[in-house]
Amino acid sequence: MLAHRLRAGLALGLLLAAGPVAAQQLTDRQLVTSLSQVSSEAPAIDIALLMEEANANVGKGVANQPNWSQLTHLAQLLVEIDFENDSVAIEPQSYRTVGLIADALHHPNLMFYKFLVVGHTSSTGDARHNLKLSQERADAIREALTTTFAVSPDRLYAVGVGQEMPVDAANPKAASNRRVQLINLGMVK
Amino acid sequence: MKRLRLMSGAVAIVTLFMAGISSADTISYADAVSALAKDCGKDIKKLCSGLNLGNNRIQDCLQKNEAKVSPTCTSTLTSVTASISQRQAAQTGFFKLCEHDAAEFCKGVKGEGNILACLLKTKRIDNGKCNQAITDAGWR
Repeated sequence: MLAHRLRAGLALGLLLAAGPVAAQQLTDRQLVTSLSQVSSEAPAIDIALLMEEANANVGKGVANQPNWSQLTHLAQLLVEIDFENDSVAIEPQSYRTVGLIADALHHPNLMFYKFLVVGHTSSTGDARHNLKLSQERADAIREALTTTFAVSPDRLYAVGVGQEMPVDAANPKAASNRRVQLINLGMVK
Repeated sequence: MKRLRLMSGAVAIVTLFMAGISSADTISYADAVSALAKDCGKDIKKLCSGLNLGNNRIQDCLQKNEAKVSPTCTSTLTSVTASISQRQAAQTGFFKLCEHDAAEFCKGVKGEGNILACLLKTKRIDNGKCNQAITDAGWR
C-alpha cells in the first residue's frame, strides 16, 4: 500500500532525516489518506504561540518548545515546494504539488478540516532572515490555496519556523531541511 | 467571488466551446496547474518572475503580456481556467444534486466523506445526475 508506505516514511522522516516526498510520488489519494488520520485527543494548537516560540529562539531551535513539540502528534505530511531564490514566488515545477494539496483539501473526507502550513529552511544564510522568509513563503502557499485554488481561508493557517526545526539535525545545511509541513488541525468549528 | 468574475468572460467562451466536446471532462487542480507549468513555465519565468500563484497574479501577468506569451500557453491558460471552474461547480453542486440519492440509498450515514463512500458503492445511481456530479467533482 502506497499510502502506508508514505505514512511510515513520514513517521521515520522526522527521526531518520529522510527528505520530503517528491512531487511525482504523491497522489491526491495519498494526501487524503495521510491527512485524515485524526486522533480524537489531538492537542489544540495556538498559531500565535508557535510564532512567539520561533521568534524567541532564533538560532537555538524549537524542537523542544512546548507548542512546537505538540505538532508531532498531529496527522501531517511533508512536501517539497521550490521557490525562486530569496523570493516568495513558487517555481512552476512545484505548481503540481500545490495543486495536489488543493485537490486533497477539496475532498469530502477533508473538506471540514483546518490545516496548518509550516515553512522550513535549511541553515544556509542568516537565521533571522530564514525565519522571516519561511513565514512569507508559508503565507504565499496559504494565499495561493485560498485564492487560486478556492480553499476557504478560515481552514488554513500559515507559520514559518526558519531553520529552527531541521529534519536532518546533523546536517542543518542539507537541502532536505527545506520543506513544507501540512498538518491537520482538526474540524472547523 | 472576485476570481470567478475576473475570468467569467473567458470561461463563458470556453465553456461554450467545450460543451461541444464533452461536458463531463473536468481535470484536477494538480493536472490543471501541471499543464500550466508545462506550457507556460518558460513564459512565467521570463515575464512573471517574482510573482506568485495566489490572487491570480500569474494569470493576470500572462494575460497582460499576451503579445509576448506563446500561443500554446495562452490556449492552455484558457482551457485550464475553464476546466477548474467546471470542477469547482461540480464540487459545490454535489450536495444538492446527490441529496435525494443520499436520503434514499444512504439513510443514516453521517459525514460527507461517508456519504460519498456510500454513494460510490450504490450501483443504482449509476446513470443519474448525482453520479455525473461525482465524476465531474473528481471524487472517484
